[in-house]
Amino acid sequence: MTDRLRNLPTMKVHPQTELTLIYAGKRLKGLASDTIATALYANGVRIFSRSLKYHRPRGLYSLDGECSNCLMDVDGIPNVRAETSLLQDNMKVEPQNVVGTPERDFMSFIDKLDRFLPAGFYYHYFHRPYRLWPFFQNRLRKAAGLGRLKPSFRMKGIFDEIYPRAEVCVIGAGPAGMQAALAAATQGLRVILLEARPWPGGFFDYRSTNDVSDIPLHQRARQLADKIEENRNIRFFPGTFMTGFYSNNLITAFQVGKETDYFDERYMEIRVESVIVATGCMERPAIFDHNDRPGIMQVACAHRLARTYGLLPGKRAIFSIGDDLGLEAAMDLFDLGLPILCVADTRSDGQAPGLVEGLEERGIPFMRGWTVSTAHGSRTLKKVTLCTLDGLENRDFKCDLLVASAGLTPSAGPLFLAQARMSYDRFTGFFLPDEMPQKVHAAGRLLGLQDPLSIEASGRLAGLSAAADCGALVKVLIKEARELLEQLPGPVRGSKFIQAPGSGRKRFVCFDEDVTVKNIYQACDLGFDHVELVKRFSTAGLGPGQGGIPGHNLPLIVAQYRRYDGDSSDPILPTTIRPPLVPAYLATYAGKSRNHPKRTPLHETMKKTPGAVFRRTGSWQRVRYFTHDFQCREEIETVRNHVGMIDVSTLGKFRVFGPDALHALQRVYVGDMSKVKEGKVKYSAMCNEDGCLMDDGVVVKTGENDYYLTSSTNRADSTAEWIRYHTRYEVWNFSLVNLTDAFGAINLAGSRSRELLQTLTDEDLSNNTFPYAGYKEFRIGGDIPVRAMRLGFLGELSYELHIPASYTRTIWDMLLEEGRPFHIQPFGLEAQNVLRLEKGHVIIGQESEIRNTLHDLGLGFLWNREKSLYKTVGAPALHFTERQNGRMKLVGFRMEDPRRPPKDGSIIVDTRIRGHVCTARYSFTLGQSIGLAHVHSDLADIGTRLEILEDDMGSKRLYAEVVPTPFYDPDGKRLKI
Amino acid sequence: MSLTISCPICGKRDGYEFRFGGEERGPRPDEEGLTHEQWCSYVHMRINKAGIQREWWYHQEGCGSWFTIERDTLTNLEVEGREET
Ligand SMILES: [Zn+2]
Repeated sequence: MTDRLRNLPTMKVHPQTELTLIYAGKRLKGLASDTIATALYANGVRIFSRSLKYHRPRGLYSLDGECSNCLMDVDGIPNVRAETSLLQDNMKVEPQNVVGTPERDFMSFIDKLDRFLPAGFYYHYFHRPYRLWPFFQNRLRKAAGLGRLKPSFRMKGIFDEIYPRAEVCVIGAGPAGMQAALAAATQGLRVILLEARPWPGGFFDYRSTNDVSDIPLHQRARQLADKIEENRNIRFFPGTFMTGFYSNNLITAFQVGKETDYFDERYMEIRVESVIVATGCMERPAIFDHNDRPGIMQVACAHRLARTYGLLPGKRAIFSIGDDLGLEAAMDLFDLGLPILCVADTRSDGQAPGLVEGLEERGIPFMRGWTVSTAHGSRTLKKVTLCTLDGLENRDFKCDLLVASAGLTPSAGPLFLAQARMSYDRFTGFFLPDEMPQKVHAAGRLLGLQDPLSIEASGRLAGLSAAADCGALVKVLIKEARELLEQLPGPVRGSKFIQAPGSGRKRFVCFDEDVTVKNIYQACDLGFDHVELVKRFSTAGLGPGQGGIPGHNLPLIVAQYRRYDGDSSDPILPTTIRPPLVPAYLATYAGKSRNHPKRTPLHETMKKTPGAVFRRTGSWQRVRYFTHDFQCREEIETVRNHVGMIDVSTLGKFRVFGPDALHALQRVYVGDMSKVKEGKVKYSAMCNEDGCLMDDGVVVKTGENDYYLTSSTNRADSTAEWIRYHTRYEVWNFSLVNLTDAFGAINLAGSRSRELLQTLTDEDLSNNTFPYAGYKEFRIGGDIPVRAMRLGFLGELSYELHIPASYTRTIWDMLLEEGRPFHIQPFGLEAQNVLRLEKGHVIIGQESEIRNTLHDLGLGFLWNREKSLYKTVGAPALHFTERQNGRMKLVGFRMEDPRRPPKDGSIIVDTRIRGHVCTARYSFTLGQSIGLAHVHSDLADIGTRLEILEDDMGSKRLYAEVVPTPFYDPDGKRLKI
Repeated sequence: MSLTISCPICGKRDGYEFRFGGEERGPRPDEEGLTHEQWCSYVHMRINKAGIQREWWYHQEGCGSWFTIERDTLTNLEVEGREET
């Protein structure tokens, strides 16, 4: 590890705390608070990656992760931004897109082939003849892309999400952002302050100049940061990247956890009244021949490497810059020990006089109106050529570091996302807001300000304006703040310089996608001369840096091209910016795991029952089997021969009551609900407006204008919504209560169920007093109230018992205990599935889908057509569909080979697809394989032979015959005993 | 979701709490004399307005009521305080 600078007050790394990282198999040392990138740089790593298309070597360029140069594979996660990811002990880091090593990459020959890879080359070459495109596509896919993800990859880490609310959100904790936050917080407002870097301070943080204030800027940053920390109205989120800005001032962001945080990343959705954007500036890349060579970096990158991380970025440096920050950095780095051969400034005048004098005092040659035109060196930088802006004069310098920047450009992404009206300002050379959306403010450097006092003052003004949005009485303060700002220096003239003279083939506009100026011109030549078209055709700005590097240069180059074309009146247009502003993991968006299934009141009992295998069904966790026999022979035969019971607590349960309760039922059920009699169960169905089956269940009348009804498990969550929706225009007086979770339910089924139930109650359960389709409320097991229905879903004498949830376990245990002499056994979903299949009963979602009408499913008899007055949902459609030809029908079938049921979902074919199998099982009761299927109506007649095709069956087929249902006990005698 | 919705019972809440119930198109027509075309049109056709429309919302994670609001489909913002039209 190279020696770090010592005793700098601006240093953020801790020389006492060494961390280990393993890079390409080698153990290296870094310091606490290093990023991965700075730790690698400290270890002499200069080539960080190879570029997407040409496999050119790429190095450290900025420190804010604006390009893919620094994307690396970290601990098995590809495309991690090494520039913004903090180093952690024992991190395993691998370079990406490298065949060999970053230093010697076997694919680098592609760099020589650029002539054959113009903009949009894949459209040109590989689409003619079109039939070869799949072949080339496959090859291109293998060559393209950066990181690699193994199919076995599972994202590690803890991901969280929070939804904070506040009055004001400030994006960016530089001097302007901190002043804004303080101004608003002092008015008693809650402020959320976001900062992408791990600490506040912005561009004050690493600067030692005290030209305008009596203390160095980094000390001023510390002062403001202390005030932020002390202010209890401000919640400060460091390491937090804003991703989106939506209407109603909703800000999305994600926070990267520090080692002491409980999360690795945390998604944030922040809702506030007013927003302040104070994101400052980034540098506009200088464009010249081979401007991507490792050894070339931006001004702030070089400056921060030294000041924040204690790393002198090179041994012999050239500066080619376009603004005063570049001059300041050159002086400061010189003072820290960096030998500087010369400083070229694209501006011929306008430099702050103190800075020019400072260079002179230090003996650094200063060249006004010069810029870098070419970088030399095959892997890293060896030499640069500087030239005058007209390109007539040249000078070469041997060096290993080129600090280059064309000037500043605002980080205006949040303003674009906020839908501010932005236009190009010719004085600053910035895209500036013409008009801000309501309750959104901008402050600081991104408005073109450079003077530290002006920047702070603009922050304070924005903070007060935001306070005013929230109702604070700050008119006078705003007036004073505005007057103060007007007295201070305003926006400064920006550099207009776009690219060096000359027209080399390797000047990169976009590092991520390897797009050169030439590629941009090619796109323009082909007629894609609008900046949005150029972007898409050339792919400049479509890489992982989200347009950070090419974002501003692309519009300028396109405008330059159009000027050559004679079109000088054209406005300079920005490209559209979309969220997320910075790349984020899908895992971060997914946030917390929400796999929290609902449990029935019997869950604990089920867990203790031997052999219980649970399955997630909808929102519920239910038992599928109680044995390891997946055919459930024992469970099925127990029900058919003795008595069994199943937990059916997941059924939807509702009470509907009030003077107009019956009207509401008539509206949603297809049957005539006035026929529901006390003491009787009525089975009915609900359709949607297309006449397709939505739900089925039973309704009982528990009193005058008082009904209790069940829905299928999957509809439990939406039944209340459904009934209220379809009665929303009526002024009917009825109430609806969801009792799904208030009641547990057990279905006790089998010929001996009456005998068993009778042992628990004095109520007369004989067939005469409690017959099939009867309903009774009584007490069992002493004093537990139960609602009992005699239903026939499974084809045996059975009682569906609805019990207050907290008593359900007690009843279950009693039945199990008392049931021993009757050979009782619990059964699960699979046994229930077979039992009801033998009866030909439909399960919604299994034998029906959203396009099956009541008639398709053979349930037309449930529909009462004489109640049009009630506007029954679906009735108008049923009038039509019941006579419609060519619909699919639900039929029962029996396999020719009794031992071989087809898989659920197999298709029914003749010369084409004619239907599909819904459910098919071997029936132990019948000694046959049976099933239900949807087939075209011309295959629905009894006796029709069906050809069934399973996956991977080739020319083989299974054969079945359409038979009437129910398969078991067709007369329903066993229900009525 | 940036949309907020004003429930008449619970007040202004996050859009996540609600379910959309489609644009307001009046109660369904009577069955008497209804043609299939009219019915299909009622069930399936929408105005799909670009601008301010009255529409139904259900407060699923709240009080469970259906109500209408006005929303500008161009800005995806609720338009508050207008008279019901
Ligand atoms: Zn509500």
